[in-house]
Amino acid sequence: MRYFFRFSLTTLFMTYLLIFIGGLVRVAGAGMGCPDWPKCFGRWIPPISVEQLPTHIDPAQFNFVLAWIEYCNRLFGAFIGLMITITCFLAIRYHRKEPKIMIPTIGAFILTLIEGWLGGVLVDTVLNPLTITFHLLLALFIVVLLIYAVMQAYYLGHKEAELSSKYSDTLKWPIMGTGLIIFIEIIIGTEIRGGLEIIRKENPLVDSTFLLNMLGPFKYLHTILGASLIGIGYYLRKKLIVESSNPSRLMVISTNTMLVIIISQIILGESLVFLDIKPLIQLFHMWFASLLLGISAVQYMVWERSRLN
Amino acid sequence: MRNIHTISLVVVFILFLAMGATWVIKKAEQANHLLPPVIRTLPYFQFNTHDGESFTVNDLKDKITVLDFMFTSCTGPCPIMASNMRDLYNKYSSIPDVQFVSVTVDPDTDTEDVLSSYAFANGVYDERWKFIRSDIGSIKNLSRDGFMLFSDDLPAGHSVKFVLIDSKGQIRKYYDGTDEASMVILQAHLNLFLKALHS
Repeated sequence: MRYFFRFSLTTLFMTYLLIFIGGLVRVAGAGMGCPDWPKCFGRWIPPISVEQLPTHIDPAQFNFVLAWIEYCNRLFGAFIGLMITITCFLAIRYHRKEPKIMIPTIGAFILTLIEGWLGGVLVDTVLNPLTITFHLLLALFIVVLLIYAVMQAYYLGHKEAELSSKYSDTLKWPIMGTGLIIFIEIIIGTEIRGGLEIIRKENPLVDSTFLLNMLGPFKYLHTILGASLIGIGYYLRKKLIVESSNPSRLMVISTNTMLVIIISQIILGESLVFLDIKPLIQLFHMWFASLLLGISAVQYMVWERSRLN
Repeated sequence: MRNIHTISLVVVFILFLAMGATWVIKKAEQANHLLPPVIRTLPYFQFNTHDGESFTVNDLKDKITVLDFMFTSCTGPCPIMASNMRDLYNKYSSIPDVQFVSVTVDPDTDTEDVLSSYAFANGVYDERWKFIRSDIGSIKNLSRDGFMLFSDDLPAGHSVKFVLIDSKGQIRKYYDGTDEASMVILQAHLNLFLKALHS
């Protein structure tokens, strides 16, 4: 039984790593590194020189570095797909009668298949911005499902977990609302990012520090919601740690980590606005946001569990 | 103690990720900012535009040019090429340093008037997109010897390539004018040359 817990936890960790790598491909501008899918320039291993290109693909599209960046992303993606498949098998093997584990695991598996197919659509549509956003959102859903399965597996092995903690009963909407705000922030963030990319492409002679000024009012909403998350983070910390009775270690860690990440996000976000739009910062800004959503889900699940008492 | 240990592990892990990502981003930036090398310098030619003006190789100087070979009555790949060229023409409407040139390979049909109405139909309203013509022999020479494109069976057998020409009249790269992904790369290269022209 512990096999499932350990393996699914590893899968969750690796999936987050894949989200990081996916974001890296995006900021590196390597999304079209392979113009076909699932093969790369008609080959299972990308070409190393122009001579190896198939005749139906324009050689102008070949860039050795970008092709290999995208290819590594696909390889790692396939590896994660395999891990999620194994997680699914382990769930069937050990937890067949536990719908709380079976449903999210099988759900994650199905969404992973769709996610892979969506990767192909992305290439076909030459990185349609809406498809890119959907690609990220689907990854976030998969992660939340995995978190749910991992937590339920943990509780199966630790029947007493969370039951001695007592939190306020009225926190359902504050916690869920926080998750929702984070989710909305992620969507607005992808919107800002996509908009920036288009503006940059269409105004090649404009300095990158001016690009943000050319964006619509979305950016203010993003900042305001982001700043409000600090207050919400403090409020949740007060309610879930300070004013609760015997909060669990997981609750303390997730609530504190959430606050730390929110503050880091504000710093990263503002540095993008006031310093320069640096790809590395954009990457971590996106990745931390995905972590934040996961932590919010953990928080809710822990709170929900404690109410069984 | 356990907390400090975990936190330092997380910090080290994030630093490790940041280092890896920096390396990849740097490699990608170098790859993305590499100007395509000079393929060859164009020979002298003198054609006429759809406005009846003369257009020579010197009109390519000090501008970044995207050039293709087409003919107005073509129903094969030309409509896609024209649509892609039109997109570019519209995207660069505020930048007079970028010009678009379409060379007809069917001068018998594509007279000055025909080219003019074709330009009008494609929404051309300024000097940035020119349709040029000459006698079929000069066109063939330019296409085959100047641009090294397949030109045996004109007009139907013209190339579908878009050619990127730098501000010195040198060919820098060929792109499949019917492929959306190639157009994205063409635009990226165009922007690189533009920045270089302005720096």
